[in-house]
Parts: sequence; C-alpha cells; structure tokens
Amino acid sequence: MKKSNKDYRLREVKCATGFNWSNLKAELRAIWESNIKAWKLDFAYPVSFVRQLISPVVFMLPFLLYGLALIGGRYSENLAQLVGTGDVVAFIFTGYIMMGFIGTAVWAMGFSMRREQWFGTLEAIYVTPASRLGQILGMALHSTVHQGIGTIIQFIFIYVTFGLVLNIGGILPALGIFALMLFALYGFGIVISALSLILKEGWIVSDIFYSIMTILSPVAYPLIVLPTLAQQASAIFPTAPALIGMRSFLIEDYIPEVVGNVFLHLLVLGAVWILFGVFVFHLADRYVRKRGMLKKF
Amino acid sequence: MMESVYQQSALRSNLFVVWNELIKNMKFLMAYPIIFVFWAVFPIFWFIPFIFQGQAFVGGLQSASFGQITGTEEFIPFIVIGSVLNSYVNTLLYGMGESIRREALQGTLDYVLVAPTNKVYVLIGKALSESLSSTMFAASQLAISALLFGMNLTLGVMLPVFLIVILLILGLYGLSLVLAAFSLLYKQSHDVSETIGYVFYVFSPVRYPLESLPFWAQIFGKIIPLTYALIIVRSIMLLGASLSSLYFEVLALLAIDAVLIFAGFYMFNWMENKAKKSGAISHY
Amino acid sequence: MVNNKTSEVFSIQTINLTKRFAKKKHRGVFGFLRRNQSKNKNKEKNDVTVALNKVNIEIRPGELFGLLGPNGSGKTTMIKCLSTILIPDEGTVTVNGFDAQKETSMVRASVGMVVGGERSLYWKLTARDNLRYFASLYKMHKTHAKQRIEELLENFNLSDRADERLEDYSTGMRQKVAIARALLHDPPILLLDEPTLGLDPNFARQIRRQIKELTEKRGKTILLTTHYMDEADKLCDRVAFINNGNIVAVDTPNRLKAMVKETELVEVAVYSPPAGIEKHIRSLLPDAKVVKLIPGNEDEGNPSRIKIIGGTAEENVGTIIDALRQKNVRIGSLNVGVPTLEDVFIKLTGAKLTEGRMQ
Repeated sequence: MKKSNKDYRLREVKCATGFNWSNLKAELRAIWESNIKAWKLDFAYPVSFVRQLISPVVFMLPFLLYGLALIGGRYSENLAQLVGTGDVVAFIFTGYIMMGFIGTAVWAMGFSMRREQWFGTLEAIYVTPASRLGQILGMALHSTVHQGIGTIIQFIFIYVTFGLVLNIGGILPALGIFALMLFALYGFGIVISALSLILKEGWIVSDIFYSIMTILSPVAYPLIVLPTLAQQASAIFPTAPALIGMRSFLIEDYIPEVVGNVFLHLLVLGAVWILFGVFVFHLADRYVRKRGMLKKF
Repeated sequence: MMESVYQQSALRSNLFVVWNELIKNMKFLMAYPIIFVFWAVFPIFWFIPFIFQGQAFVGGLQSASFGQITGTEEFIPFIVIGSVLNSYVNTLLYGMGESIRREALQGTLDYVLVAPTNKVYVLIGKALSESLSSTMFAASQLAISALLFGMNLTLGVMLPVFLIVILLILGLYGLSLVLAAFSLLYKQSHDVSETIGYVFYVFSPVRYPLESLPFWAQIFGKIIPLTYALIIVRSIMLLGASLSSLYFEVLALLAIDAVLIFAGFYMFNWMENKAKKSGAISHY
Repeated sequence: MVNNKTSEVFSIQTINLTKRFAKKKHRGVFGFLRRNQSKNKNKEKNDVTVALNKVNIEIRPGELFGLLGPNGSGKTTMIKCLSTILIPDEGTVTVNGFDAQKETSMVRASVGMVVGGERSLYWKLTARDNLRYFASLYKMHKTHAKQRIEELLENFNLSDRADERLEDYSTGMRQKVAIARALLHDPPILLLDEPTLGLDPNFARQIRRQIKELTEKRGKTILLTTHYMDEADKLCDRVAFINNGNIVAVDTPNRLKAMVKETELVEVAVYSPPAGIEKHIRSLLPDAKVVKLIPGNEDEGNPSRIKIIGGTAEENVGTIIDALRQKNVRIGSLNVGVPTLEDVFIKLTGAKLTEGRMQ
C-alpha cells in the first residue's frame, strides 16, 4: 500500500452526535434551516407564493357568501339556537382559521418527504445524520408561519368588508388552545408523511384525510349537525375541540356545543398523536429502506 | 411510393392524430385505477361541508331567502350542480397543462413537436380524452348525489344539460389552448391554470348565487363561460326551464366559446413558433 | 472493524451482504384487470431479483476502491447499503467501525455520498444555499459550516458563481456542488456513484483529479462506482468486478490485467510481404497463439496486415521488427493492443461490461 494509514482513526466523526446539548442544538438548527430552505424555495415561485397567501380568502368566500345567501343576512336564528351566537361571519371566520392549518398537517408536513423525492434530494437528505423528523418539523414551522400570515390577511379582509366583532380579551387564551392543538396536528402530520412515503398515490391518501378532517371539524357549522357517529369520531382529531375552545373565548355569546375540558383533551391528543406519529414514521422509514423505495414515485 | 404516405386526405390524417392521442391518454388514465375511482367518487366529499352548513344556518333543507335569490329553496341540488360542473374546470384546465408537462418530463414533448402534424390536433386529442374522462367522473358524482339527495335526472332534463356541458367544454378547450401555449414558454404554467381556477371559483356562481357578489364582480363573472353554464343547467334542472327560454345565456356562452377557441388556436400556433425559435421547450 | 486473523483495520467491510428486491411486475395498461386473473395461476416463486449476493468486500483506510460492473449489476445497491439508505436482507456492513444497522447515524456522519449527481440538489437555490442547508443536516456548527463552505467553493472554483441558482449551472458545475456537499462534514469515507457520468471531458478530468487528491492528500477512503474502464484503471488502487450481484474478482488493475496477458495483440502493416513470412514469424514467437497474414491491396493503398495474438506485446514487438527487417519488408505502421479491464471482465464473466468509454 503506497499510502500510510497510521494516522487513520476509526470511529471518529466531525458531526454532532449522541445525547448531549450540542447535538440537540444541531438538530434544532437543522429544523430551522429546513424552514429557511422552504421559504427560499417559496420565493423562487413568486406567483404561487402570492396565490397561497390569498387562498385562505378565496376558499373562505364560498362559505361566507353561501351562508349569507341562505339566511338573507348575517344573523342566523337557527345557529343562535344551536350555539348561542347567530353572527355567521364571526362563526365562519373563527372556524375557517383551522382549514389552513389542517393543510399544514396534511399537505405541507405530509408531503415534505414526497416533495424531496420530486426534487430528487430525498436520498441526499437521507444519508445525513440529522433526524428525518426534523425535516418534517421544519416544513411544519414554515407552513405554520405561512398560514399565520394568510390568516392575518384573511382577518383584514373580513374586518374591512364585513366588520368583525371578536372578544379581544379572548385572543390570548384562544392562542394558547391553538398552540396546544398544533402539537397534536403535527403528530397527525407525521403520520400522513409516513403514509405518503409508503403509498404510491400518497396525494389521494392526503386528500381523503383532508376531506374527512374538514368535515369532522366544526368550521362552518357546529358539531351537533353532524350524525352522532361523526360527532364522536371528531374527538380523535384536535381541530374540533380546539375550535370549540377557541370560539368560547373569541365569541361573546357562544355556548360550546360539546362540554368538556378542552385543554386536557388537547393535551392527551397531542401526546397520543405525536407518539403514534413517531412510531408510524419509524416503521415507514424502515419499510422504505428495506424495499428500496426512496427513489421511486 | 414514399409520397403517398403523406397524401392521405388532410382531414383523415388529422382525425387519425386526434384519435391516437385520445386513445393514448385514456390508456394513461386506465393505468392508474385508483386515481380513476378517486375522481369518480371523492369530489362529493368536498361539498358535504356546505350541506351541513346549510342545515346549521337554516335548520332544514329549504331556505326561503335562498329561494328569493335563486328561485329554488333547495340548496343541496344547487351545491351539487355547482360542484359537478366546476369539476370540468379542474380536470380540463389542469389536465391539459399536466398532460403537456408529463410529455416534457418524459422527454416525449420534443418528438411530438417535430412530428409533421399540426400540434393543435394533438391538443384536441388530449382535450377530448380529458372531457371524456371528466364526463365519466361528473356522471358518477351526479348519480351518487342523486341517490343520496334525490335529484331529477330524467332524459328530458339531461339532454339539454348535456348540450350545455359540451358548450362549456368547448369554451374550456379554448382556454386550455391558451394555457398550453403558455406552458410551452412559461415553465410554471401550473401557476396560470391554478390562478384561473381560483378566478372561476370566486367569480362564477359555483357555491353561491352570482347575486351574492358585489356588482363589479358580477360583471366580471359574466365573461366566464362557467357562469352561463351554471345558470342554464340550474335553470333547467331545478326550475324546469326550457332551453329556448334561456336563449340569451346560450348565445352568450356560444359567443364566449368562439372568442376563446379563436384566441386559443391563434396563440398556440404563435407561441409554438416562438418556442421553436428560442429552444425553450426542453428546459423543464 | 478489526479482522482477527490479520488485525488489519478496514474502513469499509461487508460480510455476506445480500439484498433482494421484488421484481417489478409489468402488467401493462389494463393490468388492474389482469391482476385478478393471475391470482388463479400458481404464484411464481422467482419474483425476486438478487441485487447483491453474499458480497464480501474489505476496503482499507485511504484506499481508492473501484466497483465496476454493467448497469444493473448491483453497484448502486451496494453504495446504498453502505450509506444506510438501504437495509440489507442478510449479512453485516461495517463503515468506519460502525455497524450500519445499529449505529445508523454514526455511519451517516462518517460518510459523504454522491449519488444521483446533479439531480440531487435544489436547482432553485444557489450553490451556497444548497451547501448551507446540507451543512445543517450534517449537524455542523454554524461558524464552522460557513468557513467550510467558502473553502469548498474555493477548491471547486465555484466562488464567483456561488450566489447563482443551480438552474443556471452546467451539468459539470452541479456535479461539483454535489461532491462539495459530500465533503462538507469532512467525512473519512466517500461513496461516489458514477461521479463523472454525463460530464464533458474537461469537467470529468477535473473531477478525477480532485478525487485523486482526496485520497492522496487528505487520506480519504473512497469507494467509486463507474462503468468507464479507463477511469477505474487510472484512478483506483484496487478494483472489484461485480456482475449480477456477485463479486467476480478483486485486485489491483495491473494484476487484473495480467490475467489476460495472453490476449495482447500486435498488428503490423507491411508492404509486399514475401511468401512464408507467417511461418517465419511463428517460428520466432513460440508463445504466440495466432499469427495471421491478412493480404491487402497495395494499389488501393491498403497494405497487408500481420496479426499476432498471445505472449506479451512488449517482448513480441522487437522480435517481429527484427524478423521483418531481416526479410527487407517495409513496415507501414505498428499497433499494440494492450488488454483493458473490459477484456478482463469479459474473460471472467463472458458478459460485456459496457459500451461506454471514458471521454
């Protein structure tokens, strides 16, 4: 052998590894950089970026205009009988906030791996020592902020065109509920991303979950109009309890259609969904590495 | 001998191109049975929230104020028709752009473009297959909705509806040609079709009556072919109107179709030449 | 990994590495209809492709090791097993002393990989953005990463275009970024899958020079797959042939080529060869297997040719020239065909390695 290998030391690496503070910091940085990367890619497609920002308004409009046409004004007697408040604009706006974030879980997180596959970068990401969950959480972070901006635009639109009466003092506790809900939603997003990694027609799975979740979330109607079975099923997704909780803080006369401890409910859901998500993702990760499916789509 | 290959009647050879393109695209569709089933059934789930919303807001299946605006108090059939017709917009607008993108990704686009045939016929073939599949999907969605919510689907009603659907498809063809022209030069043609999809969704009476929009938006809505198709089909199916009583809307739809198709042909040929010159085709 | 018998240290070691894939079923356009029919038939047992079959490879630290084989022979599968992208069905993989199945993230930290080439980057981002992102995935410290990125951009002559999007780069430049990415965390081991595939000769040469430097100056262990014979011949310290998932031979390029010495060929163009020249030369070259005169047509400018196959060309050439001079035969030209790794591969497997040649 012409080369001397006396200074070669096995089992030595220069990346952060193991259970320690610097490795945790490195993982957090990987999440942050995934988020930054997603923003940069967003800016590379300016038309689509702008469209995504206004899409909350575009897709909320049908619920509003249709609702107004149905009752010939903005006060619904029937809704007031069901949940105490008859202002459909406030009701729909507070509900519709959730739609974008369901999208975060199902599309942004659920498709983060698939998107890398389309770019051709998935294998390159897979050989890095950073956790793959970090990649998904980076997308969650990006999408949450993105949807947040969309929601603010939506709020301004509603405020300017309809005028909106919300309980200002309720905003902080409502945000607290919202933050709790995000954890559970992120867990759900991890499950979807695991499924989309395994299944060839992953977008169909995502679309089905998206539709089911939007039907089971009381976005434009209270839960009580759903069939009993659907009402019960809605309890496994965080959006229904979160919406009920948020509305109780944000809308003055609102009477929650389902009574229970929203905080506790969301805490349990968050823990369960995240644990389940990590577990399913671990299985999916092994499955695709066994089958050599990272490259295919 | 060689010449005779090309000396077939122009019409016959062009129809041959259209036919083969149609068959090819239908085969693509059949290769993905899950996608097929998905589009035939699943769009129903997208309008279900509107049904629950209606129930929550009016406490039943009829709304008097809705009746004052639209002539029908039953909001479910109104929503169903809106969704089914709107699905044509989705499949035709995205479908054509996607079809071209797929050719570009597979690397077959260049071969299609150098073939000695007018590319417009290839596009017509694509459009025919998209409308065929869209109609299968729409029929399935409509049939399921009729079973669930009860709607009048008798032949006397469906024949004029079918005619209007064809007119809607023609207008969308024209628009697709414009989009296809764009997709030759502008890489994110997806953006354009998606944006048009948004505009249709907001300014046409898909989910709400046109009268719900502010006045200026109503005027804008009246240059969209989908608006007329929705008005005519709802009038026939829900109000029992006859086609002849809707002559103004039918004529307006025809006029918009003519403009769009003419613009589409013209733009596509123009863009194709431009793309060939700048060599922009393969840069996907 | 320390081998008990020789106590030799290996950067990469595989023991009985086996990987099988379910065969893709081409059901055709209406396959979903046919699926039901095939259920009736008895399921075929051999629905499995063996991509790697009990592969044993030992690569020493600092070695530049070439894995050669035709398309679909298992080269890329091998690289993917080593880089933890694929989990083997049987056998063990040890990389930089870490078990690829149990210490996955340590293996990932030890390895830099180039697979899929230019496609494996974000074309909508700049070179610097790409590297910055991957540096974070390699869990590098921020300031260290920044420094390292500048250093790599400089090394690969990319500094002045580092802030341009990759979509405006040439294939060769993108490949350089892909290699720079593999070097970000200064890994002791590099896995390069066809690093010069599709590059123009100039870029291919630059990349090869850089690969050479990485082993010689930086002491990296490199596993390189290629189907360019000359590339493997010139670059690699040792070469393994892989065919249908089996390792057919492992040795230095020279020793491998020595296996086919007998096929060395000398071809001489001669004018007006006298009768019996064939016999005369054969009598002087006892090792030659074939000595054949192919008559030409001198009026048309085609001299006759004498082909000699067998023995070593180095020894044969002198004897042949002397013999021709002796008989006063004018020599037009003389060509020596040295065996290539391709010839070795054909000899060992009966299969052709590839049509591809290094540009």
